Amino acid sequence: MTGCYLGIDVGSVSTNFALIDENGNLLKKLYLRTAGRPIEAITNGLKMIQESFEDDIKIMGVGTTGSGRKLAAVIVGADVIKNEITAHAVACITEYPDTRTILEIGGQDSKIIILRDGVVVDFAMNTVCAAGTGSFLDRQAQRLGIPIERFGDIALMSQNPTRIAGRCAVFAESDMIHKQQMGYKVEDILKGLCQALVRNYLANVAKGKEIKSPVVFQGGVAANTGIKRAFEEELGMEIIIPRYFDVMGALGAAILAKKFMAQNKRAKTKFAGFEAAFREHTAGSFECQGCPNLCEVVQIYVDGKLVARWGDRCGRWSADMAV
Amino acid sequence: MRIGIPRALLYYNYYPFWKIFFESLGHEVVLSSPTNKKILKDGLESTVDDACLPVKVFHGHVIDLINTVDAVFIPRIISVESGEFICPKFLGLPDMIRNSVAGLPRIIDCELSLYRNKTGFMEHAIRVGRLLGNSTQEALRAYLLASSKYNSYKKFRVKNGRLPIDEGDKSFFEVTAPDYSKYKDGSFKFNVLVLGHPYNIYDRYVSMNLIKKLQDFGAKIITPEIIPERNISAGAKKLNKKLFWTLGKNILGSAYYYMDNCKLDGIVHVASFGCGPDSLVGELLERKVSRDYSLPFLYLNLDEHAGEEGFNTRLEAFVDILERRRCGESNVSSHG
Repeated sequence: MTGCYLGIDVGSVSTNFALIDENGNLLKKLYLRTAGRPIEAITNGLKMIQESFEDDIKIMGVGTTGSGRKLAAVIVGADVIKNEITAHAVACITEYPDTRTILEIGGQDSKIIILRDGVVVDFAMNTVCAAGTGSFLDRQAQRLGIPIERFGDIALMSQNPTRIAGRCAVFAESDMIHKQQMGYKVEDILKGLCQALVRNYLANVAKGKEIKSPVVFQGGVAANTGIKRAFEEELGMEIIIPRYFDVMGALGAAILAKKFMAQNKRAKTKFAGFEAAFREHTAGSFECQGCPNLCEVVQIYVDGKLVARWGDRCGRWSADMAV
Repeated sequence: MRIGIPRALLYYNYYPFWKIFFESLGHEVVLSSPTNKKILKDGLESTVDDACLPVKVFHGHVIDLINTVDAVFIPRIISVESGEFICPKFLGLPDMIRNSVAGLPRIIDCELSLYRNKTGFMEHAIRVGRLLGNSTQEALRAYLLASSKYNSYKKFRVKNGRLPIDEGDKSFFEVTAPDYSKYKDGSFKFNVLVLGHPYNIYDRYVSMNLIKKLQDFGAKIITPEIIPERNISAGAKKLNKKLFWTLGKNILGSAYYYMDNCKLDGIVHVASFGCGPDSLVGELLERKVSRDYSLPFLYLNLDEHAGEEGFNTRLEAFVDILERRRCGESNVSSHG
């Protein structure tokens, strides 16, 4: 039986799993669509991992990350709950220790992480607006009737990219529609969109940051060869895409779990076992009437038993639940 | 008369003065509730669409006061320091409120501009007093009392590092002994300069409790409000050209002074989405911080978002950087 560490990254668009062994080798990765139902995505992922390994593995530690990290921690039982910036950086420097810049574009977030000598020294994330991220590309591909997997390759066929307004997703969409109506070719529009997103990313997210090579591009959008090419053209640098670019957050969480368990030798993992996937998880929310803040308090039930609560500002509901 | 003061915008700067002033003229001062969901919702629904979040929140606070007061105090503020301006939205505030909020009580609206006139604040206060039916004599006496108490409050605030944060329903001015016992000096892990307009950083609802969250991570919080004014001016002099936005000047002056003269581990800059003056200030700040000082810098942009997860993610990642600089690499805490 192999000792393994599991990392789970619950993002807005995808829920990813990474399973590593004691030496840090990746045994299994899963990229599942969250599809607005994170609990199902998490339990499905657990079942799939159990099915592929049967009883050959023993989970020694679990790490969760992504915007759903707390939820995942409650369902699966996590030893490490870490923000996705740190998780992405950890995964990247494990594979490419010299990395000095990480470009990461996910479903709802885009970030830039600046590293020097293997340490994160600076980062930036998109601000309140999520224009130019994966979910927008998804939607545009859908609207043009193109499978998202082919988006990049089609864009690369373009000889004469058209200019698309990239500052705002709504502007970009109306600009694209107008260009379509005028008769521009789909590949030229897609290439134009790639360039617009890259321009927008560099002007907003990477604003004022010194981008030094080696540059690693990760996150779901790194699968899009059109975006990769647009980055290379704009930056004039080679862009590295790691092998497991789409599950780097999960991989980072797994590595962090492994480190944590190594540092705390006597600690026993909080992993709830694969049977967690077969329990019934329900989430609900209510509006607390205790004060005019009217916080939206979320409650998570496992098999009808209340296990976690959050969302209250004062701690009235969450304080007595040790999460 | 019951005079309402909205707990928003320059409340965090001038409330102590006006409270004493109005009370010594025999009026009762009523504060709106601390910002809550309903205030935010009312503000969002009533304000013209392109206003920034703090202005929308202000509208909500005025609505919160409507049925409880005889008058709402909304001065028309143009300038609070000689040779400087405040954001133009303050100048139009009484008009915006009259245009957008129905069923208003009387509005006490009086112009304040210290741009060319340093002593204008006294004249402003006297005009306000006369609007309320008091004599010039009475208003002058109230002004003298209020300004002396206000000045000693400010000295006390700077000396004790007392941030103007409300506790529960209590105004920051009435909080006598805030519970800082948890944050004794030796227990701080980092010194973090939190910069932003007072109404963004001290409003616990709008800022998603930023200061408390940072304190819980072990940060000692420094803000422009607890830095002596002469130090802010000294810092602001390092700019190539005088910055004429008062709030922006406080931000840059504090940063420039602190980075050169004090031990600092990181800077957090909070701005409202769509803030004109801050787009400039933020840019200057970020360039300076990252080029000349290589300090960790976190920029937080606030709007009406209620989901705190994105906000927490940024904070946690920022604290991770501070932590790693403190303890060296490979030391990543397991939570947060």
